[in-house]
Amino acid sequence: MTRYLRLLRLFTGATLSAQLEYRANFLGAVLASLGEVGVALLGIGVLFGQPGTDTVGGWTFHQALLVTGFFMLTEGVISVFIQPNMSKIAEAVRTGSMDFTLLKPLDAQFGVSTRHLNVLRAGDLLIGLGLIAYAASHLTVTLGGFAGAAVLYLSAVVIVYCIWLALSTTAFWFVKTQNASELFNGVFGAARFPVTAFPVPIRALLTFVVPVALITTVPAQALTGTLTPALALASPLVAAAAFVLTRLFWLKAVASYTSASS
Amino acid sequence: MTTLPPDAAVHVRDLRKSYTIHEKEPGFLGSLRAFVRRQSREVEAVRGVSFDLAPGEVVGFLGPNGAGKTTTLKMLSGLLHPSGGEVRVAGFEPRRRQSEFLRRITLVMGQKQQLIWDLPALDSFLVNQAIYEIPDPQYRATMHEFTEVLGLSGILKKQVRKLSLGERMKCELAAALLHRPQVLFLDEPTIGLDVNMQESVRAFIRDYNERYGATVILTSHYMADVTALARRILVIDRGQLVFDGDLARLVERAGGGKTVRLQLRRPVTAAALAAYGEGVKVDGLSAELTVPRAEVSSRAARLLADLDVADLTVEDPPIEAVMAELFGGKEAVRG
Ligand SMILES: Nc1ncnc2c1ncn2[C@@H]1O[C@H](COP(=O)(O)OP(=O)(O)OP(=O)(O)O)[C@@H](O)[C@H]1O
Ligand SMILES: [Mg+2]
Repeated sequence: MTRYLRLLRLFTGATLSAQLEYRANFLGAVLASLGEVGVALLGIGVLFGQPGTDTVGGWTFHQALLVTGFFMLTEGVISVFIQPNMSKIAEAVRTGSMDFTLLKPLDAQFGVSTRHLNVLRAGDLLIGLGLIAYAASHLTVTLGGFAGAAVLYLSAVVIVYCIWLALSTTAFWFVKTQNASELFNGVFGAARFPVTAFPVPIRALLTFVVPVALITTVPAQALTGTLTPALALASPLVAAAAFVLTRLFWLKAVASYTSASS
Repeated sequence: MTTLPPDAAVHVRDLRKSYTIHEKEPGFLGSLRAFVRRQSREVEAVRGVSFDLAPGEVVGFLGPNGAGKTTTLKMLSGLLHPSGGEVRVAGFEPRRRQSEFLRRITLVMGQKQQLIWDLPALDSFLVNQAIYEIPDPQYRATMHEFTEVLGLSGILKKQVRKLSLGERMKCELAAALLHRPQVLFLDEPTIGLDVNMQESVRAFIRDYNERYGATVILTSHYMADVTALARRILVIDRGQLVFDGDLARLVERAGGGKTVRLQLRRPVTAAALAAYGEGVKVDGLSAELTVPRAEVSSRAARLLADLDVADLTVEDPPIEAVMAELFGGKEAVRG
């Protein structure tokens, strides 16, 4: 266990110093982060912009802002922690450098999931947290609501990670799945607005087919104390199940791995 | 079931591997067609290979391109699951990739690199130290030793992407052996290096083998690697072992003959020499010809008696020529 913590520290140090090598990328990343908030806030602006609109689908402006905050935070978590690692899986399978990961006496899933960080997008994390804090300050938040939101958000992050890992793992079979992550972004982008603002069929799709609701809307509801107990339980359970399933899927992929020819 | 020699470091019996390959015509339409209806075909890359290696043994693993060398090494290191047969390395079954097994082996691939591209090699070493849980004193001792033998000082703190190919390969080797593995699988570790650099890589491998008694399997297309390091040679061709024995026997087995080199005092025509052997080459006062192995002494005696010879030497043909003879130009065709 301490070895894994030590490795996390080393991986983080290595990936940070590697990125300092390319300082010019920094500006681009900051602009990208600002662009993301801009788009998200514009969306809310359009929804609430018409005169006389106080709520959309039962959500007030600050509640919607809260959801947007969670969305940005999740964007940040994905671009800082998840995507940099997952996008390299396909590449590693294609070039055969996955060989080295599999030859190490270290859990390979841990290895591929923690090796890289994209610090350049850390701004998204801050923006997300800032939006959440701002929106929450205009809403009544209890301590219980806060703890619940934290747990639910963690579950949500686990779910997001599992979806990414499962998609990236298919690379072991279809080496060129670069567009698998594009597909995911397309799906995930919809969660930037509260789920209930969509017509019923789409809402059903989003809630049940793709668990995006769990990723952003549920933590927001928990924070404001409007969450039903059933949903509160569902998220951690789904996260646990997703983790076990993806783990099995990963192990199966590794077992079928035939590395790229010499 | 064959019984396992109790002290074998590597034990391989009837090892097989076939790949399923999906064929695809070039272009987008080809991709689409392949996506809809997959054409697949089995390729037997390794077809029943057996051998045993004693601990501390160094063997050269030779064969033309596509013979199955890399495939075999990948099965021995646990990266590929064999389609059939039995493998034991250091007492473990490689395909299970147990941590205890992985700590005892290493696979070096001259064509691939594990070092972190944007950082100095030292950072990659520290990561490996943590992964293999190498205690600090051992890490320092190993680093000290490797730095000396490989001449690493001065390059460890440069970003890997700024190193020359040879410098990078030295660092790759150091990274791969930092945990002091007992069994080394080296797949073309000297590929693309100049003669000096090849020599220092060889010296390092020899030194490591002597110091730690490690078992080494080495593939290379540079015969000097193999002749300098290995006494025993395995030759694989189209997935099957066609030779297992020492170098001298390989040369003998290839048939061919011995090369006789002459230094003459008076010029001779090639036609005049054709009576003594084949493949006659004349260049001014020096000449070269090939004579059958069994008749070396009688032919040499005749040459010395008939011609005005200043010097005569008899040599084994270069191993490249032996391989060319064994595989009769297949190399070019099989790619
Ligand atoms: N991942 C793979 N998928 C399909 N076929 C493969 C794969 N890897 C190797 N092969 C095929 O298996 C055969 C043996 O390949 P291998 O790489 O083991 O040869 P090799 O002896 O290492 O050759 P070289 O000297 O060129 O490195 C070749 O015909 C090759 O095309
Ligand atoms: Mg090879």
